[in-house]
Amino acid sequence: MNTLLTEKNRAVRRSVRAFCEREITPIAGEIDREARFPWEVVEMMGKLGYFGIQVPKTLGGAGMDTLSYVITIEEISRVCASLGLCATVHNSVVVYPLLAFGTEEQKERWVPQLARAEKIGAFCLTEPNAGSDAAGIEATAIRSGDHFVVNANKVFVTNGGVADICLLFVKTDPNAGHRGISVVVAERGTPGFVVGDVEDLCGMRANPVSSIRLYDCSIPAHNLLGQEGRGLQIGLTALDTGRIGIAAQAVGIAQAALEESGQYANQRQQFGVSIGRHQSVQSMLATMATQVEAARLMVYRAAILRDQGKPFSQAAAMAKLYASEISSTVTDMAVQIHGAYGYSKAYAVERYYRDARVTRIYEGTSEIHRMVIARGVLDEYK
Amino acid sequence: MGLHIIVCIKSVITKAPENGIVRSADTAALNPFDRPALEVAISMAEKQGGTVTAVSMGPPSCAFILNEAMAMGADRGILLSDPRLADSDTLATSTALAAAIKKLAPFDLVLFGTRTYDSDTGQVGPQTAVLLDAPLVTGVSGFEFIDTRLRVDRTIDGFGEEYELSLPAALTINPSAAAPRDLLLRGIEESFTGKEIEILALDDLGIDPRTVGNSGSPTRVLSLTRVTRERKCEFLTGTMDEQAEELVEFIKKSGLIG
Repeated sequence: MNTLLTEKNRAVRRSVRAFCEREITPIAGEIDREARFPWEVVEMMGKLGYFGIQVPKTLGGAGMDTLSYVITIEEISRVCASLGLCATVHNSVVVYPLLAFGTEEQKERWVPQLARAEKIGAFCLTEPNAGSDAAGIEATAIRSGDHFVVNANKVFVTNGGVADICLLFVKTDPNAGHRGISVVVAERGTPGFVVGDVEDLCGMRANPVSSIRLYDCSIPAHNLLGQEGRGLQIGLTALDTGRIGIAAQAVGIAQAALEESGQYANQRQQFGVSIGRHQSVQSMLATMATQVEAARLMVYRAAILRDQGKPFSQAAAMAKLYASEISSTVTDMAVQIHGAYGYSKAYAVERYYRDARVTRIYEGTSEIHRMVIARGVLDEYK
Repeated sequence: MGLHIIVCIKSVITKAPENGIVRSADTAALNPFDRPALEVAISMAEKQGGTVTAVSMGPPSCAFILNEAMAMGADRGILLSDPRLADSDTLATSTALAAAIKKLAPFDLVLFGTRTYDSDTGQVGPQTAVLLDAPLVTGVSGFEFIDTRLRVDRTIDGFGEEYELSLPAALTINPSAAAPRDLLLRGIEESFTGKEIEILALDDLGIDPRTVGNSGSPTRVLSLTRVTRERKCEFLTGTMDEQAEELVEFIKKSGLIG
């Protein structure tokens, strides 16, 4: 077991694992097949504090450290990556920026309900023509008296189909380039706020990823988060933290694939022995276990650096890059070890394989992460 | 003043290599059969008013189970820890627990799980009750307070039994009595960072060291070996009637039917 963990962290793992195995494991396959968001479980998770892990107790959260947060995400994702995704996005790129950049009034207004999962959060940055190039967004929020008139077409919004509180990246000054980007908080139900159809995705199917569009939507000026024109900085700060969560999610998926593969390799007989006795299968299991452990250590280190108040961007970027890439490798090997059964929906590994793939794409693609990491390396050795 | 409920809990071994036991946070856990007892105590205190004290005995490395009990809702966590308590059998353990419970008096109820996940003797609850001279009902699954008395139910051998006890009393709790609650993350945070486990050594308990540990243990575990079960498949031959006859004979001989 991991020597970096405190007794508290271990207790978090035990209790989250027990809850997830009892409540989520039995439905994980079904909600993936039906592409259903399991409100009944999300409600329980909210009561247990999984949606406000690092929110101060004064605002209704659990007031925990980043390490406990990543363990929680890892454990949820180990049984259901779609719910791990829901929780990590909600905690790290919605609730955290509200805490970091919101006014006291804004925090009081939105955070307690989000921390209890009475409301679900979404982070709306991506547009049809802007993803990795965040400064290329076309959404606008034009000031008109005490409100903004917002027009936006946000796509691939995680939690989009169920989100109540959306951090929306918009241009408040369309002529100022990336300095003209701001964040406004848009609430579902505001006239002109439209939730698009849920995307038919390869993986993460229990998460209602959708588009969110705003047509001449009037948003009060006091819903502006942080300073006007500092939206990109808010986004990048949120994503720094978000990356640790996505990395933890990738580790959780890979861990599940490793466990299933170890059990299957012991059980499945070919040529008169369990397939785990065959060197080629052992080689895959060894690679999988080593990669999962290495990725986990990188994620925990990034979390610990953040808890210690030290710079963690580079560590988080490396953890996200590595964990997401090994998650694909490990789940691919899990399918291989399971043979035709691994390719069948009768076994969970095909779900892990589909779920793992997107961790290399969202909250910064592998390519963007390599760019960020390389920039850090070049700066360091200038 | 509300009820004072004491719950005795154990850290059990979850992983033991063949050649011996190393008790650490990675190989030990709160006995799953103690969780329903904690749940009963905590919900009783919530309903009736009162406090819950969780007591355990073991090395300091197992204090975390008391933190978990407090994360569930126990008010205090007390660990009996002293090198001289090592190698205590169930009687010596009961002696130490009874001394601690007397020190925590006044109390209304002392609760135990029915058994433990590792050694599975089921003796500590009843022995401690005897040492405390408290009335005891084992395997309790239902409760009702009637003024100052407690009415409890238990099911045994297909019969339902009902008892009425005066307090203070001791109960072992059937796991069916209550589904233990999940831990709130906030509860974990508060119990592991804000609450201290109180550690009591033999001198604090005023126990004669000869009555606990190795010297106070009349029983010894001499050996522990894994039992391998051999399964074999027997095929019955003959006509259907003959096979049925033979099957009935076989079941009778096995003592499964009279």
